[in-house]
Amino acid sequence: MTLHGYLLLGLVLFSMGLFAVLWRRNLIAVLIGVELMMNAASLNIMAFNHYRVSDPSTGQIFVLIIIGLAAAEVAIFLSIILNLYRVQREIDVEGITELRG
Amino acid sequence: MLEQVAVGGFVVLVLAGGVMAAWMRHILYAIIGLGISLFGLAGLFLNLGSPFVASMQILIYIGGIVVAIIFAMMLSIAMTVQPLERNRPKVWFAGLCAATFFGGVAWLLERTEFEVIPPAAAQSWELAQLGHALLNRYNLVFETLSLVLLLAIIGAILIARQERTS
Repeated sequence: MTLHGYLLLGLVLFSMGLFAVLWRRNLIAVLIGVELMMNAASLNIMAFNHYRVSDPSTGQIFVLIIIGLAAAEVAIFLSIILNLYRVQREIDVEGITELRG
Repeated sequence: MLEQVAVGGFVVLVLAGGVMAAWMRHILYAIIGLGISLFGLAGLFLNLGSPFVASMQILIYIGGIVVAIIFAMMLSIAMTVQPLERNRPKVWFAGLCAATFFGGVAWLLERTEFEVIPPAAAQSWELAQLGHALLNRYNLVFETLSLVLLLAIIGAILIARQERTS
């Protein structure tokens, strides 16, 4: 596979994530879409790291940091979902209109 | 030959898992699709020369994040509840947006030429090099990440804590 192939695969994955974020009604499914987008980004970084960079530890550290930030993001997101479910008894994004301006 | 077959298999896993994650209405199937997709990506990372990042992908993403999402699903929606119906106009609009984004970036990608340099020497891919870089050149990033993780843990506990009703 060439660099272009990897970038195209990352683009397909990112588009899928964008699609999921936009159409999903369940908040957990929106989170899954965000995860797909983050993984598309790390695939792109690893591909560039392999084909274009002379010091390969740079890209690897970048991807490790993406993984760490994703873990932090998921922890916060899930606690918000649980709290929301306790308060509202639903996690449908169309039903959560308490804070709508 | 064998390598190409393996890479093709991983690409199929990534795409099939992604379609499952983005389209399945039942949330558990979407989570399983996400896991399959992440596993395929770990295989691709292996092919791109980094077994360490591939193993971290499996350990943290599949072993940690996917399991955490499954916990949240079990705690928030009863498994027996019917999944929400698709909202048709929303699906069409989302598809239009995603297709437009895909088309635009694919067009740009098609027009771009990337200069590929010869691959780096094998010893610069070693895990020891990664550790040295992490503790010397990227030390600040490393420390910041640990701080962010600590704050995320404290924040998650604070947000999810049950309020005591007295």
